[in-house]
Amino acid sequence: MQQSTAPVVQPPCQNECPIHQDARGYLAAIARGEFDRALEVVRETNPLPIICATICSHPCENKCRRGKVDLPLSIRALKRVAVEQGKSPPPAKPKAQRSQKVAVIGSGPAGLTAAHDLAHLGYSVTILERDAAPGGAMTNFVPIYRLPREWIKRDIDAITALGVTIKTNHELGKNVTIADLKKQGFNAILLAMGLPVSRTPGVPGENSEGVMLALPFLRSVNQEGYRLPPDKMVIVVGGGNVAIDVARSALRAGAAGVRMVCLEAPHEMPASPWEVEEAKEEGIDINCSWGPKQIIVRNGKLGVLECKKVKSVFDAQGRFNPSFYEEQCTLIEGDIIIMAIGQGSDLKMLPDMGVNLNERKQLVFDAKTMTTSQEGVFACGEVTTGPGSAVRAMSTGRRAALAIDGYLKGEKVVFTEPLPLGELAPEVVNGVKRIERNVVPAQDPALRVKNFNIADLGYDAVLGLKEARRCLNCGNGAHLIEEKCIACLTCVRVCPYNVPVTRNGKVDIRVDQCQACGICVAECPVNAIGFRMPGVEDIPQRIETAMKGSKQELGFYCSYDSYYLRGVNTQGMIGIPCLAKIDTKHLLKAFELGAERAFLAGCMDADCPFTGNLEWAQRRVDTVNSLLKDAGLGEGRVKMLKVEPDQFKNLTQLVAAAFQPKEAPKG
Amino acid sequence: MIKATHKRLERINEMIAPHSEVLVLGCETCTGICLVGGEKEVARMAANLRLLNRKNGGKKTFTEGVVRRQCEMEFLDGAASLINDADAVVSLACGVGMQAIAEHFPNMPVYPGNNTAFLGLSPELGLFSERCVACGDCLIDRTGGLCPIARCAKHLFNGPCGGSVAGKCEVSPDVPCIWQMIVDRMMRLGQLSKLEDIKGIRNWKTNDAVGPRAYIREDLRSTPPKLDSVVMKPVAPKGGAA
Amino acid sequence: MSNGYKAGTRLEKILAAGKFAVTAEVGPPKGTDPEPVRKKGEKMKSACDALNVTDNQTAIVRLCSLAGCALLKQVGAEPLMQIVCRDRNRIAIQSDVLGAISLGVGNFLCLSGDHQKFGNHPTAKNVFDIDSIQLIQTLKMMRDEKKFICGEDISGNTPMFIGAAENPFADPFEFRVVRLAKKIKAGADFIQTQAVYDVPKFARWMKMVCDRGLDKQVHILAGVIPIRTSGAARYMQTSVPGVAVPDEIVKRMKAAEDKGGADKKLKAEYGREEGIKLTLELIEQVKQIPGVHGVHLMAVGWEEAVPGILEKAGLLPRPAVEAG
Repeated sequence: MQQSTAPVVQPPCQNECPIHQDARGYLAAIARGEFDRALEVVRETNPLPIICATICSHPCENKCRRGKVDLPLSIRALKRVAVEQGKSPPPAKPKAQRSQKVAVIGSGPAGLTAAHDLAHLGYSVTILERDAAPGGAMTNFVPIYRLPREWIKRDIDAITALGVTIKTNHELGKNVTIADLKKQGFNAILLAMGLPVSRTPGVPGENSEGVMLALPFLRSVNQEGYRLPPDKMVIVVGGGNVAIDVARSALRAGAAGVRMVCLEAPHEMPASPWEVEEAKEEGIDINCSWGPKQIIVRNGKLGVLECKKVKSVFDAQGRFNPSFYEEQCTLIEGDIIIMAIGQGSDLKMLPDMGVNLNERKQLVFDAKTMTTSQEGVFACGEVTTGPGSAVRAMSTGRRAALAIDGYLKGEKVVFTEPLPLGELAPEVVNGVKRIERNVVPAQDPALRVKNFNIADLGYDAVLGLKEARRCLNCGNGAHLIEEKCIACLTCVRVCPYNVPVTRNGKVDIRVDQCQACGICVAECPVNAIGFRMPGVEDIPQRIETAMKGSKQELGFYCSYDSYYLRGVNTQGMIGIPCLAKIDTKHLLKAFELGAERAFLAGCMDADCPFTGNLEWAQRRVDTVNSLLKDAGLGEGRVKMLKVEPDQFKNLTQLVAAAFQPKEAPKG
Repeated sequence: MIKATHKRLERINEMIAPHSEVLVLGCETCTGICLVGGEKEVARMAANLRLLNRKNGGKKTFTEGVVRRQCEMEFLDGAASLINDADAVVSLACGVGMQAIAEHFPNMPVYPGNNTAFLGLSPELGLFSERCVACGDCLIDRTGGLCPIARCAKHLFNGPCGGSVAGKCEVSPDVPCIWQMIVDRMMRLGQLSKLEDIKGIRNWKTNDAVGPRAYIREDLRSTPPKLDSVVMKPVAPKGGAA
Repeated sequence: MSNGYKAGTRLEKILAAGKFAVTAEVGPPKGTDPEPVRKKGEKMKSACDALNVTDNQTAIVRLCSLAGCALLKQVGAEPLMQIVCRDRNRIAIQSDVLGAISLGVGNFLCLSGDHQKFGNHPTAKNVFDIDSIQLIQTLKMMRDEKKFICGEDISGNTPMFIGAAENPFADPFEFRVVRLAKKIKAGADFIQTQAVYDVPKFARWMKMVCDRGLDKQVHILAGVIPIRTSGAARYMQTSVPGVAVPDEIVKRMKAAEDKGGADKKLKAEYGREEGIKLTLELIEQVKQIPGVHGVHLMAVGWEEAVPGILEKAGLLPRPAVEAG
């Protein structure tokens, strides 16, 4: 939703996210145990946090730069940590309200996002939903074991709390028209009607009894509690995520077994690889590279799906255009066939209302302005993009909201796409510590197929902390303040990741490569390195604040250990995102301001994602101690406390013990 | 570049005993680069002096400042008000910068916060080592680009002494014998025969035999300068016994 | 000199006559008593062709080599004055040389000097205005051109027999011969080497020297340090710069001492015996090496053993030389 002309550079995870969520921001907050803050960050850009935390296709993870080092962060699972552990409320609706009204047709992810954004922009928004329950595809088609309906409701409730009205059982062309809406005073109308119709392959026998379509099947399982008759072998035709949903739902709905048949070879399947994996775990048999030829009915009952071997799925131009070895056939036996080969829109009511369709019965639509052929009528979601992920639909809803805002204000809206940070350089990759990805706990496959409970259990807080620490903080670290730099090369030499380099006689700290460990910031002799991550540049001010009121002792702790410090009184202590960001000048400042002693408490455990940081922190403690000692100002006035996670609760005692004068050995 | 180290804090504290408003003034060039003269070092030194002063019940105030190069009068002018507001300056420059203050501010006491160590380089983090003695008559054309005056403990001109063993100098097993390095390098360069020539007795006038040294770039001047040092002439081609 | 000699010293005449020369070292005291030097001179004068007086050896302050040489003259011994570059600049050195010549000293040995770090004034500033090769050049110029370094004339005669040192056991090994050649080119008449224990290595070096024809241009005296105890051998092996003592020698000394068992006196006696045996073997071996024209015994603190060793080595009596 950037509107300035200069493209903004974002971490790859954020950039790849269609709604450009600040994943780095909420991961950092989780890593510090600041779950409320994490949720706040999520909510800044995401109107459906719980839904996304549960079912998002997480394109962010594909671009996560840790993937170059070992494996990407589990970003979606961490978002779930934020929504489950965080307590911060959604942002309130703005005080300034506009007089204009907007009607949104459809309450799927696109419509809800548009409604949310428009409400925040001050418009009065009404959503018309043709079904009895809001949520569109999420409510109708996403299986309950993937997304509990209560969770959808919580996200939608947060949107209605903004003043958005949702009128269910309102279907365009049936009980309301565009003209009606305009008459009712809606200044703009947004079509977000999704793709509610299942496609069929058009093979002989497909109208036989026992052949079902994916979307109606899913809707009846999800909404009406439909269960299959006993002992039925189900064949699912299709290789996308919907097909997987159908297959896994069929198992839970009582199928004796499920066989999937798809045109694509395993590597070509459009379904997300992890979905395929989970289906396999549940015992679903996947038959790749077979296309349906005909459905054979035996004894008046459906019995066999005859398939022909796929030669290729795509033609030379890369278009979907399957070809077959016509004579190479196989028979797959089953009692029920569910067709899950794609979805289409239902827009037949639009031309009568003056909204044009093209010759392929698709909406006439201008993606630059999000407009249709009729003035004041906009569109978003899968009707404009074709099938895709919820988060992509959300991003079009967001665009549409901005387009409508511009339209209603009489302003031209230009969308600028932000740019991603560059790739991690190999020499940087080499320096990054390898840390194993934490597996997201899930229900046992054998058990989960017997119920509709959510399969994915998510991380608990501690696992979330550990996983979040793996984040490389892309682009959130050091940057050079060129006018202060004296090119002493200290940063070039201290960096464990080879991030600073010399170029044309100058130092270049490659912002896009920085791992944000902070060693260079504290070692720069002329304060010529700035730091983007919060909690570093303000250390001196925080020391001043902390030292007000004649404190004797000043403590610093690693912010990444905040979670373990719950319940410990850290009032007046200073949290730093890794103790290596402490500078000798900070410690001396504390003494100047009257401290008698200071300590640094840090995890010191294997979870520290940085290389050499603890060593550098120790070195600074030693330096300050030796400076003070040399000046006759006492010995051992700064202590470095290496604390195990489960010992943080005893921090007060540990500090007291560290400063306890050593007893003279007896005898 | 010039390399320097901090003086001991107690020494500095003794020097400034008579003064009440002390400026700690850093330099961002040589001493900044060798990590004893930059903004942060100034802050550290000032903080330490404040702590020490407070412990001793003193009432001194310490201000902090940094100039780009303390050895340039124009840069010092930029810090004139800072300097004039103080009773004394503790300089974290090299000996050159310190003296520039002494010359440019005739009534301002200036004290060394650093010991100027040598002309050298920093081959790796935290290591500074000597390479040049500024003798004024560079002879490394004969020695493979490595200087035996700066790097041989006996400043030998004509080859290693009898204490060169296994590439190390007799004074310390940590120090490589520069003559071993010279011989190795001349061998690589195919110039070993150059070392057979005797380097004759040298003229030390370019070094320290004449008192303070100066040189003049006539092409940059229209009037003769006000001299404070002995003007160096180019060394006679033969170099040796004069 | 009109008689064809450079200085006409006994050492020069012996070497010129192609006879095997013998020199030995006299360490001056850390004090003002002239007697130790005189006594050593008395004992060794008839056994040696010249006696080296060290110049603040290992950078420990001692009675100066010029005075030491004068004391030797008093007892009729032939002095060889060592000069190091460490402590004096060209002015002081040239002045000392003039003084020495005026007192009848004719043999000189030009050295760089041990680094002050090893001595009793490690905080001293060293001089090294000129290096040992330039010192040779200086002496040669003073003798042959009768001029100072500055080019001014010297009045009076300047007879000098100029020596230099070389350490065949230091590195870079190949370059040691080049350096020897430089010293010869600079004007060295004779060379006294660092102590030889590793005879095969010394022989290899001598072969290189002879291959370059340097043995025809200079007289080489092989250095020998008699060892009294295994401790001394070990000390020289580890702590004396430039001296290479093979392990076998330390072991051999140790084995000899062990024969004395717990009896300290006996132990010392066996050690001394073995040391003398070893020294005799070394002298015998180096004598066989082509190009070696003499030996230089550095029996620091054990000078009284020198005549006995030379006797046993068959180097006594010393040949007579023509007078004048």
